[in-house]
Amino acid sequence: MVFSSLLFLFSFLPLTLIVYFISPRILKTTVLLLVSLVFYAWGEPVYIGLMIFSAVIDYFHGLFIHKYRMSKPLKAKLFLVSSLLINIGLLSFFKYADFLIENINLLIGTEWMPLELPLPIGISFYTFQTMSYSIDVYRGRLLPQKNPISFAMYVSFFPQLVAGPIVRYENMAEELNNKRRFNVAQFADGVKIFIIGLGKKVLLANNIGLLWSQIQSQDLNELTVMTAWLGIIAFAFQLYFDFSGYSDMAVGLGRMFGFNFPRNFYYPYISKSVTEFWRRWHITLGSWFRDYVYFPMGGSKKGKFITYRNLFMVWGLTGLWHGASWNFVLWGLYFGLIIAIEKAGWLKIIRKLHPIFQHGYLILCILIGWVLFVFEDYSVGLGYLKIMFGFSNNSLWDAAFLYHFYTNFILLLLVVVGSTPVMEKIPHSVKDKQKIAIKLVLPLCYLIILCLSTAYLVDESYNPFLYFRF
Amino acid sequence: MNKLLIAIFLSFIGGIGLWNVMAEDVSFSKQENRILSPLPTFTASNFFSGDYTKEFEEYISDQFVWKKFWTGMKAHTERVALKQENNGIYFGKNGYLLEEFEKPEEQFQSNLNSIHSFTNKAEDITSYLLLAPTSVEIYKEKLPLYAASYSEKEVIDLAKKQLSGTLSFIDVYNTLLSKKNEQIYFRTDHHWTMRGAFYAYEVAAKAMGLTPFGLDDFSIDMVSKDFYGTYYSKANLQDIKPDQIEVFQPKFDVTYTVQYENGERSNTLYNWDYLSEKDQYALFLSGNHSLVKIQSTIQNGRKLAVIKDSYAHAFIPFLANHYEEIHVLDLRYYHMNIHEYLKNNEIHEALFLYNVANFSKDTNLIWLQH
Repeated sequence: MVFSSLLFLFSFLPLTLIVYFISPRILKTTVLLLVSLVFYAWGEPVYIGLMIFSAVIDYFHGLFIHKYRMSKPLKAKLFLVSSLLINIGLLSFFKYADFLIENINLLIGTEWMPLELPLPIGISFYTFQTMSYSIDVYRGRLLPQKNPISFAMYVSFFPQLVAGPIVRYENMAEELNNKRRFNVAQFADGVKIFIIGLGKKVLLANNIGLLWSQIQSQDLNELTVMTAWLGIIAFAFQLYFDFSGYSDMAVGLGRMFGFNFPRNFYYPYISKSVTEFWRRWHITLGSWFRDYVYFPMGGSKKGKFITYRNLFMVWGLTGLWHGASWNFVLWGLYFGLIIAIEKAGWLKIIRKLHPIFQHGYLILCILIGWVLFVFEDYSVGLGYLKIMFGFSNNSLWDAAFLYHFYTNFILLLLVVVGSTPVMEKIPHSVKDKQKIAIKLVLPLCYLIILCLSTAYLVDESYNPFLYFRF
Repeated sequence: MNKLLIAIFLSFIGGIGLWNVMAEDVSFSKQENRILSPLPTFTASNFFSGDYTKEFEEYISDQFVWKKFWTGMKAHTERVALKQENNGIYFGKNGYLLEEFEKPEEQFQSNLNSIHSFTNKAEDITSYLLLAPTSVEIYKEKLPLYAASYSEKEVIDLAKKQLSGTLSFIDVYNTLLSKKNEQIYFRTDHHWTMRGAFYAYEVAAKAMGLTPFGLDDFSIDMVSKDFYGTYYSKANLQDIKPDQIEVFQPKFDVTYTVQYENGERSNTLYNWDYLSEKDQYALFLSGNHSLVKIQSTIQNGRKLAVIKDSYAHAFIPFLANHYEEIHVLDLRYYHMNIHEYLKNNEIHEALFLYNVANFSKDTNLIWLQH
């Protein structure tokens, strides 16, 4: 089930809210666990066992790691390693097995059959969450969760289950252990963030995505230079609004139930360097790799060679995390390379340039990155880049480009503005006299976003079956 | 503000959710012309296979309340945002809705081959092919600025060039183009009007060795002023004006006996019941049938088979005044051996009539190759 569906919005969510708020306080966590399991089972009736297995394993590992941490450090370490191996093993088996098989076949000429297992929903997220838990318990930063229901609820909590953010246990520990009190302001915040996320996903991402899919379906030979640029720009916005919209919905839902999840995106496209971009894009993933891979390997404190080795290690892994295909690794290393160059001094140079050049530089780097990201076959990606930069005989523009451009002009304006903090600032910048007007106008705006999102979702399922019924 | 917002949100999702539960399920959508998903029954096996949840989601979205309101809201939002199309239908000028004609792929050539293999085998049969252009070709200038649509003329000419040796190609393109100031196509539907079919009939008659009747020989009645066609159903723009439907009835003396494959009989070429339905175009020859047999009081012994899509429905009434028998076969539903059928019924003329957009995508012409 996805949040941006009629089923979730008009059946699952209202029912969940009702059951949650009428059940006695002592049962609330159990209720959230149960609805989360229903939510997961809805799309993955078979893999639910896998998630429960993962939760049980990590629950016990957490307890044992804590138990031996002081008295028998070696034993604690063993339990930590076992926890990591199980999680990485699960993730590798389901996500990377076929990738590995294909490459081995290619390398040594074997003919192993790919397993073709469907990827369990959310496995990339919940394995990372539980690994951070085990490591943090080992490091003594956390006390393990003794209540198995609370722990299972942390692992399976439906808002962040499907597409993040990667919520660390420490972000939920306090709310899990203490009684969450209903707080009007917090719930309202949740509603606001959720509606904004819904609008980002349904109104902006899906529609600008339509432009990208139209352009992507064109034959590369017939693609014009301008259309190629428009296409990858559309994809950049689609990805941002899709992902950040989904994260917003997760954060919003978390608030409604009294949890404060970390923010996952902070206007990445306004960055002035790639280093800054990655501090604003998918923040919980970046900080996960920083805290659990980069720093433990010595970070940047053990000399230049180790620093850059660590950097490329982290970026290769980051790429691989996004998907089991070489183009994602390439994409990760591409950013690793740019960040290494920025670290080596380039950053100091561009800082002196006019902000326009800094933004231009960042956007260029990011767009090239998205070309690498989006084409699984990197030779197609390179062909696309050639067209963008004029190393092909494709024409500059055509009527189709003009059509795409003016019919998406308003949408493009909206996504550009939506990628900056302007909208967020407006309500704060009004004078006191106008505050009352804002109080009425804002809820109306949220209502309009809700209505329009519903309209677009209903239209998706509206399938006039006409063409072949002449 | 917080309390107001929470109230709005909860009553929106709760209210519509509740309304969805209360509202009675609809089994068929006239607007979408399809059967809507019913509530699935829960069993362990269909749950674990994932079918139950999939069907349940279809059920929820199919049965969603106020569908017309929501889809209309989406369509109008798109237009406000300068979009020039919705669900694949262009918002043309002067209230015209138009559908892009895409460059044909292999299916088009394989359909030409099917016809070719048919004419090769049926040596004692005189065959005709009429490929009608669709409204987007005739009213190109009504397309939104820079909107694309592949040239239908090019495709029709290609068919003409390939098949002219084996059959008689009836080219109605220029005639229709010259009559574009009249209502020869519906603005809201993918069909031509009976008037459009009439001008095509004038061209066809000559090719088929018939003397066509003139406009004066018909009384032209406007039978509907509120026809909203398939383009309208897709575009969902609620301020588009409806189409009118004209019917040309002969002033001269002729009667028909119409027999459908399901045993139904009628003595008119029109089924007026469809005027009260959504798809009013189906009044011509009572919509889609696999096989329709029309006998007329013109006793000249001539028999014709028409192998066609629904463009033929508004066209055949004109031919019915020239043939003693017309057998109308729709390959989408009729999958028997056509050669045998023609032989058994002693038919020596066959007319293929399709609009070019449908012809280039239709996968059923393969049934000709029995």
